[in-house]
Amino acid sequence: MQKTLWATALIAAVGFAGAAKADKLDDIIASGTLRCAVVLDFPPMGQRNANNEPEGFDVDYCNDLAKVLGVKAEIVETPFPERIPALMSGRVDVGVASTSDTLERAKTVGFTIPYFAFEMAVTANDKSGIKSYEDMKGHTVGAVAGTYEAIALEKQINEWGSGTFRPYQTQADVFLALSQGQLEATVSTSTVAQANVKTGNYPGISVVGKAPFDTDYVALFTNRNEYGLINYLNLFVNQQIRTGRYKELYEKWVGGEVPSLLVPNAYR
Amino acid sequence: MFGYTFQWNQAFARLPKMLDGAVVTIEVAVLSMLIGIAFAILLTVFRLSGSRPLKAVATSWVEIARNTPALFQIYMAHFGIASFGIHFSPFVSLLIGITFNNAGYLAENFRGALKAIPDTQTRAGRSLGMSQLQAFRYIILPQMLRISFLPMTNQMVWAVLMTSLGVTVGMNSDLYGVTQDLNALTFRTFELFAIAGVMFYIITKIITLSARLIAARLFRY
Repeated sequence: MQKTLWATALIAAVGFAGAAKADKLDDIIASGTLRCAVVLDFPPMGQRNANNEPEGFDVDYCNDLAKVLGVKAEIVETPFPERIPALMSGRVDVGVASTSDTLERAKTVGFTIPYFAFEMAVTANDKSGIKSYEDMKGHTVGAVAGTYEAIALEKQINEWGSGTFRPYQTQADVFLALSQGQLEATVSTSTVAQANVKTGNYPGISVVGKAPFDTDYVALFTNRNEYGLINYLNLFVNQQIRTGRYKELYEKWVGGEVPSLLVPNAYR
Repeated sequence: MFGYTFQWNQAFARLPKMLDGAVVTIEVAVLSMLIGIAFAILLTVFRLSGSRPLKAVATSWVEIARNTPALFQIYMAHFGIASFGIHFSPFVSLLIGITFNNAGYLAENFRGALKAIPDTQTRAGRSLGMSQLQAFRYIILPQMLRISFLPMTNQMVWAVLMTSLGVTVGMNSDLYGVTQDLNALTFRTFELFAIAGVMFYIITKIITLSARLIAARLFRY
């Protein structure tokens, strides 16, 4: 008798727990807030304006996503190395943080189809005499720790067998070090390079050319097992392009020709 | 429930790299202690000396080292001083920052130790025909180092832990820097940092245990 009672109670408890467990998409809609991880020292994708409010392509993108979900957007400022830890620890729901969709990272989080594509550019200190990507051989170069370009650049330095690579924690530190002459050159996304050179905050540096790295496709990310949400995000990325909103945002924040998000001769 | 699955083998595969990092961490900590002790003795002598400028130098050093964050001291050594066109590599910047901090704290420890040594010790030395400097060198200094030996161990542990601040100046060869780099690459955050944490714990534990052994041997009498 007692046993049956316990069994019934257990089944009931499990049943309730099952019913209460909605997926993340439901949770976001129910909570009324979409928390996005955004990097805010990465202009023009994410930055702070004169009033110290977040703005940029990624900020607008998160706002658009919140709008279609019918919830309020909350921008959670996240430095580059902390994007995915922020998701795993439950501080954010989605990463809208210019995150390259590497296979290594996809072991931990679930990526959508790409929502943006970056070209890589070389920015050098004017005194260094570096005029192209190959000129960087033997020099002290650096980039933001853990980014796509940092990983590729460090690998290149090791292949060349000369020169030094230094990873800094933020994009601002990289450009500060570059301007001070601590670094002689850096590789960053061309949008960031142009934006930082243009601000005039970092005197004595110029964009000197392209880096021959593959186009860096970046994707939204969320928990790996949240298929419902990933499906929704994929459709959202697709709709942004279809409706012309992607082009609109691109013109607003970056300018120039809108890059294709299609990989030639590939499915995805 | 947490949406996180542990992949310990992914993290353990990186253990050799992390061990290399641990060696660099110990290197920085030991170097910064040795140089720090030398500077701290110098600062203590400055404070004892009658010279006002020397006293001022020692006092401001100790005040800055003890009353500002270690992170600030390391960041200043790299990005601050660079504003004047003087550049240090991340390794050297980190070493300067920690050494500066160590010297400040150790100088205070030494001062405390000096207060514990009665004046009569110096006078006894003087009456034996030693000069002021000789009395300090042969009688006071050994006692001072002996009294402040255990606080020095604390500072050594602190130096090991401070190496983790090197990431802010682009240091990626020490234990924390290596872990941070691997984390950015694989995002096995919990596993990697848990391993690093255990390694830090073991390093500091070895330091305190060996200090206790050395102390037992040194201070037998």
